[in-house]
Amino acid sequence: MISDITLGQFFPGKSPIHRLDPRTKIILATIFIVAVFLASNPATFLLLAITTVVLIGISRISMKVILKSIKPLVFILLFTAILNILMTKGDSAPLLSFWVIEIYTEGVARAVMMALRVIILIVGTSILLTYTTSPISLTDGLESLLSPLKLIRIPVHTFAMMMSIALRFIPTLVEETEKIMNAQKSRGADFTSGSLVKRAKALIPLLVPLFVSSFKRAEELATAMECRCYRGDKNRTKLVKLQYKGIDFVFTFIFALIFGGVICLNIIPYKFDSFGLIYDIIFYKV
Amino acid sequence: MNEILKIENLSYVYGKGTPFEKVALDNVSVSFEKGKITGLIGHTGSGKSTLVNLLNGLYKPTSGTVYLDGKDIWENPKEISKIRFKVGLVMQYPEYQLFDETVRADIGFGPRNLGLSEAEVEERVLEAARFSGIGDDLLDKSPFELSGGQKRRVAIAGIIAMRPDVLVLDEPAAGLDPRGRREILGSLRDYANRMNASVILVSHSMEDMAHYCDNVVVMNSAKVYRTGTVNEIFSDAEGLISVGLDVPMISRVAKELTSRGIALEGELYTVNGVKDAILRYVKEGKR
Ligand SMILES: Nc1ncnc2c1ncn2[C@@H]1O[C@H](COP(=O)(O)OP(=O)(O)O)[C@@H](O)[C@H]1O
Ligand SMILES: [Mg+2]
Repeated sequence: MISDITLGQFFPGKSPIHRLDPRTKIILATIFIVAVFLASNPATFLLLAITTVVLIGISRISMKVILKSIKPLVFILLFTAILNILMTKGDSAPLLSFWVIEIYTEGVARAVMMALRVIILIVGTSILLTYTTSPISLTDGLESLLSPLKLIRIPVHTFAMMMSIALRFIPTLVEETEKIMNAQKSRGADFTSGSLVKRAKALIPLLVPLFVSSFKRAEELATAMECRCYRGDKNRTKLVKLQYKGIDFVFTFIFALIFGGVICLNIIPYKFDSFGLIYDIIFYKV
Repeated sequence: MNEILKIENLSYVYGKGTPFEKVALDNVSVSFEKGKITGLIGHTGSGKSTLVNLLNGLYKPTSGTVYLDGKDIWENPKEISKIRFKVGLVMQYPEYQLFDETVRADIGFGPRNLGLSEAEVEERVLEAARFSGIGDDLLDKSPFELSGGQKRRVAIAGIIAMRPDVLVLDEPAAGLDPRGRREILGSLRDYANRMNASVILVSHSMEDMAHYCDNVVVMNSAKVYRTGTVNEIFSDAEGLISVGLDVPMISRVAKELTSRGIALEGELYTVNGVKDAILRYVKEGKR
């Protein structure tokens, strides 16, 4: 079912990560993303992997949910891993060779690091942002972080509002798609077989009603907002004001340490030889 | 036996294995007969729509079996779309599924998917339009120009045009005015009789059940609370009230009369039934 997609879904909870200020989480996620892209040797990846596992533990999001969010990526991960393994040429003797295929340690190392990079990136940012932050507080945080841009006349509030509306209606749209699909299936529509042209045509009975109801909903929402005198952020106050708490400073401090750690560990030289750390990790330790 | 559709120990769980797991149907067994209108009633969230989506194979049961003409509909999962021509399902708020340029084409969508010739499609469209009370003048209009009630009828006609053996309607009268209600629900008896079809009508209005159904299945929190003829079900007003349903207004009047010493007997859930009962009571009283 379409609604099985978990990527980008909020799981309400009371864990320390849930309680962080959304602005902190956005900043931490940014630091985390930069750190993941800076990471270039096994030790750094180890540190980031541990960080991710600890984050999962603190957030109390079940492992099942997380595995499910990676599932759609498995194919592409495997594909790039195989390409990396086959296409990378190393300096030392190949690890394995038969027919035209030669596999080098470098290729394996690169494949593993690529895969780890993507997995850590997705899981880490999901835990920090989407799984533990409601869309509303996420946009609140963004608006607040970007508010300096108001000085140069960028309508930050409007963008934030548009974003929260878009986020808010994703589940509705998914649900609606599923409903219309079921309705057309009840009339014998077939979305899964036939040639490409036939399948594209089969989408018409799905897309037309979906567009019609989306436009209608947008119009109704706009009218409802106008009826409540919505005029952007002019004279608008907030019910819940964002406020940094102790826990925000603690997490920021820890992340700063991790970031520092990543930079230091990156300096550790390591070579793709059979005595290298990566070789140990892959072939003996795991 | 006139039974056409039967479900046995049917269970359905939404979001199995996620934090949002929800048992929507719990070990339900019911059967439906040819030529009869069966009402499916229960308060909101009792699992009616879930059950209905299982009947034509839109959902796959978590456990249990749906038998159509004695055969498990999931016996061959590849053929499941054929089941949907035999068990026609009109979903809740079906007007949102209209998409084609004309009403005629939209009603013809199902028959065309059945692989019928254009002549047959046209014949079925006209027949279905007549059944659902759509005038000829509407057939060449865009479905988006119609009123809510008219759209609803077009959507229902779209299913009827497939001539299903079992016609399932999920709250077909929700949000319609009384006249639209009467017209749509009234045509169901016609369909059941003419096609010897089994009609399953989901509703939470007891009045509708009393008026249009032969049998009633009462659902309560994912389970079947009770099944029986309209008469049997309505004789237990307390039970119905205990599962969050309301008995028809006229039943309350009858009950109140009975409690004040005017003992009425008979079909105490339609205005005519109660009228007859009162007349009988008055006649007997004079004797
Ligand atoms: N797509 C869904 N995902 C999760 N839970 C659902 C879904 N659809 C319905 N439910 C839940 O299943 C229960 C039964 O719903 P439904 O069959 O729609 O009831 P009814 O039609 O009788 O109002 C409700 O508690 C509802 O919240
Ligand atoms: Mg329902």
